[in-house]
Amino acid sequence: MSLQYVVLAASIALAAIGVYGLTSSSNLVRQLLSIEVLFNGVILLLAAIASANPEMLTLLLAILVSVVSGEVIVVMALVISMYRVSRKLSSDILEEEGV
Amino acid sequence: MEVALLLGVLLALASIIVALLTVTLRDLVYSSSLLAVLGSLVAAFLALLGYYIVAAFIVIVYVGAAVMFIVLTVSMLGGGGAEVRNNLRGALVASVTLVVLAVALLVLGIPSHVFPVNVDVRVVSDSLLSDYALVLAVLLVALAATVIEGIAVARRG
Repeated sequence: MSLQYVVLAASIALAAIGVYGLTSSSNLVRQLLSIEVLFNGVILLLAAIASANPEMLTLLLAILVSVVSGEVIVVMALVISMYRVSRKLSSDILEEEGV
Repeated sequence: MEVALLLGVLLALASIIVALLTVTLRDLVYSSSLLAVLGSLVAAFLALLGYYIVAAFIVIVYVGAAVMFIVLTVSMLGGGGAEVRNNLRGALVASVTLVVLAVALLVLGIPSHVFPVNVDVRVVSDSLLSDYALVLAVLLVALAATVIEGIAVARRG
């Protein structure tokens, strides 16, 4: 057993847990949290398998983290906006509205 | 067992437990707070692998700003009504994901690397400010636009 395999196992488990949360709940905030868990798994997976050029991977991961931080802001803004209209945080409303 | 490996195993177990609690706890405030813990654990993992810059970046930008933003927003919004859960569907899709990822890694092969890696900070900064200067500029503009867009969308509602 090496550190690389431990990281790989953890990253796959995190990705699966993220997918579980995403598909099992209809709450929009819970779905966003699950996507973030999935994202953490992907970061670990990249670090474990793509370390042939660590400098480039450092750049890639830094850009990835920045983009995901921006995505969180936009999604939370949309959730706030939707909550103001419907007083609910369920993704079922999006289906009812035909989104 | 060497110390790094032991730490890795402990971090892996802690990450999995915290991730499970994040997606299953009923209270969204606790869930989002645990996401901050998960981000910190992943940062610790990356530091263990030698990616100190990314680890610091995750703690400062991701946990310090993005996840704290989620925690504060969820605290203000509250629960948002009853949560409908379909655990069977979730478990089924998660199992398929787990199997597909494991098989893909086994079939494609895992390139072997020595950890902790040695990241040359000078090379990273030189690349960022020369070869990837345009990427950096676009990223900064995109993030600024994202923040303005986020504020505009939240106010419009």
